[in-house]
Amino acid sequence: MSLLLKNISLPLAHFTLEVDVDVQKHVTAVFGPSGAGKTSLLDLIAGLRAAQSVFIQLDDRVLTDTAKGLFVPTHQRGIGYVPQDLALFPHLSVRRNLLYGHKSGGPENPLFSLEHVIEVLEIEPLISRGVTELSGGEKQRVALARALLASPRLLLLDEPLASLDAPLKAKIIPYLARVRDEFQIPMLCVTHDRFEALTLADEIIVLVDGKVMQTGPVSEVFTRPANAEVARLVAVETLQPGNVTNVNEGLATVSVNCATLTALAPPTPSREVFVCIRGEDVILQRDAATTSSVRNRLPARIVALRAEGALVRVELDAGFPLFALVTRPACAELALREGESITALIKAPAIHLVPR
Amino acid sequence: MTAEEWQIVWFTAWVSALSTLAILPFGLALAWALARRDWPGKSLVETFVSLPLVMPPVATGLILLKILGRRGAIGGFLHNQLNLDIIFTWRAVLIALGVMSFPLLVHFARVAFEEVNPRLEQIARTLGASGWRVFFTITIPLAARGIIAGMILAFARALGEFGATIMVAGNIPGKTSTLSLSIFQDVQLGDDTHAFRLLGVSVVMAFVAVWCSQLLMRRKGKM
Amino acid sequence: MKHMKKVLVGALLLFAVIGIQAAEITVFAAASLTDSLKEIAADYEKSSGDKVTFNLGASSTLARQIDAGAPADIFFSADEAQMDGLAKQGLIDASTRKSRLGNSLVVVIPGDSTLQIQSAGDLTNAAVKQIALADPKAVPAGVYAKAWLTRQQLWPAIEPKVVPTENVRAALAAVESGNVELGVVYKTDAGISKMVKIAYEVPRADAPDISYPMALVKDSRQPEAAKKFLDYLSSKEAGQVFTRYGFLLRE
Repeated sequence: MSLLLKNISLPLAHFTLEVDVDVQKHVTAVFGPSGAGKTSLLDLIAGLRAAQSVFIQLDDRVLTDTAKGLFVPTHQRGIGYVPQDLALFPHLSVRRNLLYGHKSGGPENPLFSLEHVIEVLEIEPLISRGVTELSGGEKQRVALARALLASPRLLLLDEPLASLDAPLKAKIIPYLARVRDEFQIPMLCVTHDRFEALTLADEIIVLVDGKVMQTGPVSEVFTRPANAEVARLVAVETLQPGNVTNVNEGLATVSVNCATLTALAPPTPSREVFVCIRGEDVILQRDAATTSSVRNRLPARIVALRAEGALVRVELDAGFPLFALVTRPACAELALREGESITALIKAPAIHLVPR
Repeated sequence: MTAEEWQIVWFTAWVSALSTLAILPFGLALAWALARRDWPGKSLVETFVSLPLVMPPVATGLILLKILGRRGAIGGFLHNQLNLDIIFTWRAVLIALGVMSFPLLVHFARVAFEEVNPRLEQIARTLGASGWRVFFTITIPLAARGIIAGMILAFARALGEFGATIMVAGNIPGKTSTLSLSIFQDVQLGDDTHAFRLLGVSVVMAFVAVWCSQLLMRRKGKM
Repeated sequence: MKHMKKVLVGALLLFAVIGIQAAEITVFAAASLTDSLKEIAADYEKSSGDKVTFNLGASSTLARQIDAGAPADIFFSADEAQMDGLAKQGLIDASTRKSRLGNSLVVVIPGDSTLQIQSAGDLTNAAVKQIALADPKAVPAGVYAKAWLTRQQLWPAIEPKVVPTENVRAALAAVESGNVELGVVYKTDAGISKMVKIAYEVPRADAPDISYPMALVKDSRQPEAAKKFLDYLSSKEAGQVFTRYGFLLRE
């Protein structure tokens, strides 16, 4: 699919939203802090909002073109929207909510039947209930199903996991993954949670104060942030693919390239994961032999040193690229130099495993 | 109660009900526009709509008399082109009741519309519903309680209307004689017993109407 | 200084006397008497120094108000029935009751109407859709009109067309506005309006006996002044004014 967002200029409360991107990938995350203009962007795409200067084209169809005075009304865009507050219709049952946008035998046959969607999202037992009786997770799934049943050509999700607690988030993510895999509908997710972005998206657009800071594949943006702003947002220095080889008593053994790490087992079992380690959580030690509680002790070689204000960013090769952030005085004390060997210590709870 | 008295009660009830139904589409349309849209001159429109509520009813009646009379802008056209008379017929009663109760309906319907979360309407549109479909399947059902309360109050207002009605419809027995007009006439003629009987019916009708609308408004809070 | 004091006291006394003497009387009178009575009262005020205020309306309404205790000094009704009603309740001074005036009924049409009325029967024509009458249930002008039409055996046919108004001047106004095809009012009312014309005069023989009794209200607070005005109303000067407006003198 191809979603062109060009020449967008929308003045908001504290800044102007300016976007000029070409979204190609299947699942794209719009990532940024709250109030960055992400929801406004979704509203523009869905046609719920107008602006002075907008050009939006989905595949071969131009939806908005202010230069030509073209504006396709919302109900003809075929763009599904799951807003942050879900907006389930309180006066209709779950079933009536689901079928609201369903066009049976209409000009476009639905890509999927009611039965299939219900099955994938596991909402069969909720069908005849009233909307107000549902739990947070159930509402989420119903809102998702409702949007799907309208046969959208693009699905917009605004902070799909924001209002859920950790266990619930873990439960919903597989459903979103299923939607991505089974229904093959391009999705644009807005999120301020980097792990959400990591898990769901192929590509990421980083939006800060209405401006696009960086776009690209998720792992690349995370490992090579374009500027300090993005780095601060992303805040994960080491991001590597890994495989979980063993899970025992809540601890997982992960192999990353040729290194082996011990980490806390993720709530959803998954063999393929991203290993995320924040630079602040990596301790450098000269002496390899000292005993301590740390589970991960990796022999590493210093590849590069870069001063960043009061800190020094140390790039290591521990069998995989590993980044550490240490203070300048510490760097001086340990007399760190490129090419030297050193031991990197990482506590097991400091290693985040995110299902791939 | 005599047959004649029941005729008065029945006439009052059906013409009030009909007037409420007649103003419903205009009232809802205007209430929705006031709730959801902004335009230059909006406050002027709001003021005009509220006028019948604050002006002396006989003053409103006088304006209606001038417009709807045979020499008036609208009445003249109707009389000359369609041979249709308004003044001194039940049609005048209908119009007087409608005009006087219109502001109440608009006010309550507007409040009801304002309480419908616009996000729900927007999402309905993303699901492929046209503006009209959203209005009838989402907006109206969610605003229903407030709208009905407004209709009931408009109906109650119509039941008790006097000042404008007597100006444009007179008090023709069997044709335009409403409860309030009859009570007035009875007092004029010294028929107090008759007046009090009709007064009793009038109080009961008003009481029931207002009580129902209170029930509706209170239950709304629970949602 | 002594001189000044005397003048002051004298002036005060003078004013006091005049003050006592200048009475204000309230006359409840039928609507059809509006213009003639106002002119007569203006003349009277000049010569007597008393002030006359009016409450004008349908005689039936006025009678109700007097019954309910309204502060009237004189009641000037458009028919005997309303006066009788009050007399039965002992609310008027029967010794002062007197009827001097009569009137005649006319059928009036709007000034621009081309309707032809040659007889009472013409009122039943299809072209006549609505007829304005002062409420025939109680207001004298309407009661008289109903009596006339009943005598002609036409009332049942005409009743459905009737638009009852609060008093005879309201019936006149309805005809003036053009919202009714015609109305039945007093000849004296037709006389004061420029916007209607007389289509038909009800012949004396067909019309009921129209009488305008006047009397002192028993609870009057100014009985002496009121009686004085009543006498004036029976005078030659008053009679001339009434005749000029079209009233008939019954004496």
